[in-house]
Amino acid sequence: MTDPQNAPVFLNLFRIRFPAGAVASIAHRISGVMLFLSLPFLAWLLDLSLQGPDGYARAVELLQPVWVRLGSALIVWSLLHHLIAGIRFLLIDIHIGVSLPVARISAWAASMTALLLALLYAWWLL
Amino acid sequence: MSRHTHGLRAWLLQRISAVYLAMFLLYILVHCLRHGAHSYAQWQAWLTLPLMNIASAGFIIALMAHAWVGMRDVILDYIKPLGLRLGLLSLTGLLLAGSGLWALRSLLLAAVRAT
Repeated sequence: MTDPQNAPVFLNLFRIRFPAGAVASIAHRISGVMLFLSLPFLAWLLDLSLQGPDGYARAVELLQPVWVRLGSALIVWSLLHHLIAGIRFLLIDIHIGVSLPVARISAWAASMTALLLALLYAWWLL
Repeated sequence: MSRHTHGLRAWLLQRISAVYLAMFLLYILVHCLRHGAHSYAQWQAWLTLPLMNIASAGFIIALMAHAWVGMRDVILDYIKPLGLRLGLLSLTGLLLAGSGLWALRSLLLAAVRAT
């Protein structure tokens, strides 16, 4: 047995395998944090848009610059991934799709669907 | 007893709020895809319909609960130093309460103005 104190540290990120389930799971966390960080901006937009015709026009105007559109595509990806991967987690909670082969396929499908829809949105937007 | 059920309560709150958030979001998505861009009058009329106004307020409250449990989990998992952890938890609570109450106020004011 190797002495744990002197065990080799293996932290080459390119050689650690990330299965589809791990990717879907970490992306679920990252997207959740990004959605959380976008909340003040979204609350501000909602407030502005409900203040009257002028406020609504101003809110629409605020969404026009390219960098804001790119940011909104990131938020839309976060929302889509969080929603789709979240529904997958809820199904697994009630014991649907727990077996490893099915869970791997659904993790891959969830991540890819969210990414594709977000790209479609970005394409439509730009 | 309450110590033992604390984690379970947060877990359950996370799932129940998730179901409501998902259903509401899917409704919004379908509505926006079918309806296209709104004018101010359409947007204001839609959000001040009594049922929609209340359902949206429910969404914000569910979102505050859901985001709190989620952010708390993430902070407790990755941030170990106690001071930093408490600081980030406080900031999270402030940002969530601030944004949530602000959005609720906007919805309520719009509903009052519409009457």
